[in-house]
Amino acid sequence: MVSLARTLRSIRRVGLKEWWRQLQYIGDAKSGRFAGADQFGNRYYENLNPEEEIPGRHRWVDLAQHDYNATQVPPEWHSWLSHIRKDPPPEDRVMQNLSPPWKGPWLENLTGTPGAFKTYNTTVPKVQPWQPKLMSRGGPSA
Amino acid sequence: MTILRTLMGSGPSSRLVTTRFANAGPSTLIARRLLSTTSARSMPTREPPKGSEVYETPDYLRPPPTPRSPPLSAKYEGAVDPYHGGPSAIEKAVHIFFFTEIIRGMWIVLEQFFRPPYTIMYPFEKGPLSPRFRGEHALRRYPSGEERCIACKLCEAICPAQAITIESEARLDGSRRTTRYDIDMTKCIYCGFCQEACPVDAIVETQNQEFSTETREELLYNKEKLLANGDRAEAEIAANLHADHVYR
Repeated sequence: MVSLARTLRSIRRVGLKEWWRQLQYIGDAKSGRFAGADQFGNRYYENLNPEEEIPGRHRWVDLAQHDYNATQVPPEWHSWLSHIRKDPPPEDRVMQNLSPPWKGPWLENLTGTPGAFKTYNTTVPKVQPWQPKLMSRGGPSA
Repeated sequence: MTILRTLMGSGPSSRLVTTRFANAGPSTLIARRLLSTTSARSMPTREPPKGSEVYETPDYLRPPPTPRSPPLSAKYEGAVDPYHGGPSAIEKAVHIFFFTEIIRGMWIVLEQFFRPPYTIMYPFEKGPLSPRFRGEHALRRYPSGEERCIACKLCEAICPAQAITIESEARLDGSRRTTRYDIDMTKCIYCGFCQEACPVDAIVETQNQEFSTETREELLYNKEKLLANGDRAEAEIAANLHADHVYR
């Protein structure tokens, strides 16, 4: 059971609809500052008030998809959500300056789907099978 | 004179007691619980002298007596009773037979029931990670897009689990690059020696720890998979290296 006052405070802030959604996913009523959203529609929140959120639970994500997959969080936001970076990526100058133009698209963990990684050889094979080479009967001139 | 000394001696402590209960306010419950759960509650308190307003310092506010070793023999003249002043046998028996410790423990559990939970709800909230956390491997590129690895094979040499296999060839422009960079993630022990050995910061361990797979074959990473990992997470890797570079 959660603290009743905390639950009521969060319900008053986020509204009944959002609270019902939170109950379906986080299973807890949480309210805080909207830190940003990523390219997949996941929304990220933060509440730094230790009276309202236990420190360590002060950052959370509201995933856009419904399959409870933690790898749907892209690396920039993963870094923020895991408390590695202090600022969220839209405000993190270091993270923005270090993003290269050739950055690849993020994919969630595709194991168990047809998109799962299947390893392959990246070198030319060192043992070549014998290839029968036939010369024409009359010789090269004919 | 003795009255004066007791007055002087007990003055601060009695003031301490009054202030403790005066500004107890909202934490009166906690203070009472703490008092009730200490074993000092069961200690016999000395009765105050009748007709005097001066209270003796209660036993639970005094420093604990210095422990004494039990007497060597009964006939020792200066023998002291090590249990003097402690709870009597009946009191200890009462605490045993009425399960008071269990009830106190259950009361603490009941208090936690009404407090906000500490549980980190995992896919939505995550515990803290270090910028030096060693997770899934990745091969990095230079900002120009050129791959960093120069096939020096130092990582392959230092890998204690021998999880890395490298083959290399000279490219058309004459620079030596790997044609095979395989890491068997089922062998890897995530010691981080490869990223320490790398002279060009090519092989790194990212902060991604959520790469569990259904089959073992998916964990046999080749060079393309490692380069793709690096391309996806380059911003995070570079930010971590930037955060950590002052300590290296």
